[in-house]
Amino acid sequence: MTTQQEQITRIRLKYTKGPSLRFTGHLDLQRLWERLLRRSGLPIRYSQGYNPRARLNLASALPLGVISEAEMLDFWMDEPLPTGTVLDHLAEKAPPGLVITEVQIVSLQEKALQEQMSASEYQITFYDPQQEDILAEKVAALLAAENLSRVQRNKTYDLRPLILDLMVTRSDTGEIGLGMRLKAEPGATGRSDEVLETLGYANTDYLACRSGLILKV
Amino acid sequence: MPISKQETLWRRVERILPTVTKPGRYVGGELNQLVKDWDSVRTHVALIFPDIYDLGQSNLGLMLLYDILNQRDDIAAERSFSPWLDMEAALRENDIPLYSLESKRSLADFDILGFSLPYETLFTNFLNVLDLANLPLRSADRDESHPLVIAGGQSVYNPEPVAPFVDAFVIGEGEEIILDVVDAHQAWHATGGSKEELLAALAVIPGIYVPSLYHVNYHPDNTIDEITPTHPNAVLPIVKRINAKLPPPLTRFLVPNVEVVQERVSVEIMRGCTRGCRFCHAGMVNRPIRERPLDEILSALKTGLDQTGYEEVSLLSLSSSDYSQIIPLINGLRELLQERQVNITLPSLRIESFTDDLMDELQSLTPGGGFTLAPEAGTERLRAIINKPLSNEDFIATVRSVFNHGWTKIKLYFMIGHPEETLEDVAAIAELCKAVLSEGRRIVGGRTRVHAGISTFIPKPHTPFQWVGFDSLDSIQQKLDLLHQGLHGAKVKMTWNDPKSSLLEAWLSRGDRRIADVILQAWQNGARFDAWSDQFNPAHWQAAFAAVGLDPNFYSHRTRSLDEVLPWDHINAGVKKSFLKTDYEWSLQGKTRPDCRGNCYGCGILSTFNELRLVAPDGGWKCP
Repeated sequence: MTTQQEQITRIRLKYTKGPSLRFTGHLDLQRLWERLLRRSGLPIRYSQGYNPRARLNLASALPLGVISEAEMLDFWMDEPLPTGTVLDHLAEKAPPGLVITEVQIVSLQEKALQEQMSASEYQITFYDPQQEDILAEKVAALLAAENLSRVQRNKTYDLRPLILDLMVTRSDTGEIGLGMRLKAEPGATGRSDEVLETLGYANTDYLACRSGLILKV
Repeated sequence: MPISKQETLWRRVERILPTVTKPGRYVGGELNQLVKDWDSVRTHVALIFPDIYDLGQSNLGLMLLYDILNQRDDIAAERSFSPWLDMEAALRENDIPLYSLESKRSLADFDILGFSLPYETLFTNFLNVLDLANLPLRSADRDESHPLVIAGGQSVYNPEPVAPFVDAFVIGEGEEIILDVVDAHQAWHATGGSKEELLAALAVIPGIYVPSLYHVNYHPDNTIDEITPTHPNAVLPIVKRINAKLPPPLTRFLVPNVEVVQERVSVEIMRGCTRGCRFCHAGMVNRPIRERPLDEILSALKTGLDQTGYEEVSLLSLSSSDYSQIIPLINGLRELLQERQVNITLPSLRIESFTDDLMDELQSLTPGGGFTLAPEAGTERLRAIINKPLSNEDFIATVRSVFNHGWTKIKLYFMIGHPEETLEDVAAIAELCKAVLSEGRRIVGGRTRVHAGISTFIPKPHTPFQWVGFDSLDSIQQKLDLLHQGLHGAKVKMTWNDPKSSLLEAWLSRGDRRIADVILQAWQNGARFDAWSDQFNPAHWQAAFAAVGLDPNFYSHRTRSLDEVLPWDHINAGVKKSFLKTDYEWSLQGKTRPDCRGNCYGCGILSTFNELRLVAPDGGWKCP
């Protein structure tokens, strides 16, 4: 059975990656999505060949240990369905921690999501209370630096141009945290843990949450 | 609102997780996990597989019990696994107890800890889990304020080596008895009784063995004089528990969020085996043979796939090709395959039960891939001794047929160290492998791949070879060398087990109650993950034997006399000792015992479970 080309539908989802999925890495997440799509019973479009796989496209790999309120994914279906129906089917079969917050139909002609990525926003919650003025000083010093030479996987790079914004935040309950916007283009992606390490924090000091994905306009 | 105990525990765990490898093992939260409100249930059971999550989560038996227990509203069953070494260090350093994946509660908060011990090399990990939960290791040092510690699984058909650490053993199949244990616990809990009262109540449940209610007397030569009950409720022998009918298959599989060893829908198609291979523990202790109806298997596979989204299904049994509906089953699988894109694995196929038809069907089902055959021994003489009779001619004919059907990879399983084995028998293994290779070259040419997997025979309790000694390490090494020489230059890939690791298994599976001190000492010496070849350290065990003052050879290498009281004699696995004895004597005469589907040889199963069979569904038991 061949599907008529005009029936093919590209769906874009926004979803959360909660604490129970905090340590599910990019490849595991890919498999998790393949299985979720399989369970959903939606008319998923599969790749051709000996080992057919659901065609899907994750916007941006989330580092291990980071939770998210704003992940994005595209997948394809062999026939169009109302977005509400798609949402219902997926929500019913989603694992704990994965909540689909938005479903839209997008043009088949759009570029791959990864190529559309521009920046990521993160919200950092510290496990131990922080002093606002001390944190603000550290942030100011970091932003004032002309370059921040870092080594990752034996390669030296400059972190500073990847930091688009960095600020001290205060939650409704008065907790002091950090907000940041980091460049997330193919080949130039800033990592929140690198920023925090530069500020003197180990990955055991805080919980990072990706709060927004920004696509190129 | 004050922070609850488990909340503080979890907050502390969350902070150490980024520092350990594969932290996704320690967080739970998978699809189909069941979390109940802690205070709304009467009994909390932690089911524990004492190896890492990656292995334990794939254990079908544990998940079956999880499902059965959680179907009751008054029970919460949760899971826990051994932490890997880095996580253990982090837990200890931060003084965090080992916890359950669902409620994130310390194991000490549970009413019952149920350990799955399918193999003996988990024993040190089992102790480590108790220790990580801050529980006293010995049953005698735990009271009613501690959880009840129970253990089951294939290794506890000889429970004695871990008897001092376990409050009660589940002997046999756990699906029904586990609810009896909970019921007894609930009744006892309501009265606020002592631990002694709980143990006494458990002892009367058929299939439960409470080791503290028995005393073992030894002869001066260290063999056992007798095992005697010390409590009116303690019965002798303890007869294993079985289900008249196979309980419904599991369909609610947990889907891990990180990669584990087996991610597939597994359905047990048959329990037990009628072949009677004399070395095979599973074949003896899992009798009688019970088949699951075809429609139940296929519908479970479908439901399982719907529930999980998995890409693979697997059928479990000791001898899949003996399933009486194997061809219809394969046809059903083919339909499933056409309906959904899934891979199928069908392990444990017997050479003798292969027909050309079956091979045709299989080839269409699992194209490519390898084909596995297990002749187990190199000569017809030795195969008769171990009761896996097969002529070289028939074997080669099967191999030829496998290649003719288009397979190019053959994996062959052999064991060395069999009773009555000579170096000629071992040399014949190499010859057989080379014969397979040349058949392959002739039929499929240079693509032929032959892999020989060599393991070491371990004489197991409750088998006809239970009296036989384990081969000496020198002799095993000599045999391995001979195989290397014999296969030198031939394109046969050979893999083998570390003989020292098999020796450990021999000690632990054949031990008596006194060997518990050796296990404890080895654990104190640092033994962990003994089933992992990169973690197993024989020195810990040698030192432990020396410190405790026991002779390891007494347990492993000694041939036991036929009238000796064996440490596991008070456990009745359904097969009579007299039957095993006869079968052993037959083996020495090279006399084989045919498959008992056609003719009953009176192994003891039918006389032991006569009443149960009357309530079993027609045709469910394949005993004649």
